[in-house]
Amino acid sequence: MNAGPESGRGVAAARPRRTEATIVLESRLSSIATFEGFVEGLGFLDAPERDRLTISGGEILDNIVKHAYPVLGDTVVLRASRRRPGGPLLLGFYFRSPAFAAFAAKEAEGSSEPLFDPAHRRWRGIGLAMCRNLARKVSFRPGLRMDRIFLEFGGREGGSKKEAI
Amino acid sequence: MTQLDITVHNDHHRLLLSVSGPINSYTFTDFQEKVYKAIAQADTAVDMEHVTALSSAGIGVIMTAMEDAETTGHGFAIVNPSEVAKLAIDSTGFGDRFPIVKNLKLA
Repeated sequence: MNAGPESGRGVAAARPRRTEATIVLESRLSSIATFEGFVEGLGFLDAPERDRLTISGGEILDNIVKHAYPVLGDTVVLRASRRRPGGPLLLGFYFRSPAFAAFAAKEAEGSSEPLFDPAHRRWRGIGLAMCRNLARKVSFRPGLRMDRIFLEFGGREGGSKKEAI
Repeated sequence: MTQLDITVHNDHHRLLLSVSGPINSYTFTDFQEKVYKAIAQADTAVDMEHVTALSSAGIGVIMTAMEDAETTGHGFAIVNPSEVAKLAIDSTGFGDRFPIVKNLKLA
């Protein structure tokens, strides 16, 4: 894992540098704790960014674990990256699942209103709305080799324009 | 912090739940059980100052607790939520409906 700003010398130090960190998680709910620890350790985030990533990233991971079964290889790769200091922040989820595209399509068509689940005695269906409100952009890109979900955040240099999926 | 800790105190005529750690999909059932049990018995305040994460599962429990409070006639309040808990509540788009107070005296 490569967390924290890269150190540079000479000409390289003067250029904006991409900063990123990657973690491989098992596709299970207990990995949410590992994910929260991963975000906590990202030195290139400020506190508000860390909070946004913790909440929205946890929601996406929860959805993958619950709705992408079976995840091939039982792993989800997460990568947090920023291309330049203060620039937009991207959190990518990479996994392989024959099931998730159908779930995502259903979610895209469905109501964004929360629903009460009497079996579990709690309100549900709030997570994706939370992600959309926390991130500038939420996107799902199914693929033959890999499914990908991206959360994009505005960064510290302004430009927090919202984009819907 | 990866573990959720919840302590329940009798605070005069109400129950005070002090929560620390993450309320996420992996941990929320303990939170759910203790909050529902408390609200069925008495006025309940949930101190969320030391909550390190709050997922939609936790939000869903709080929403149900708010309704249970109306049904039972008991009071319910969220006390001094951490920044991440406040952000999670606000991110629902209806954060103004949650009974948030800054301190116990206002609960």
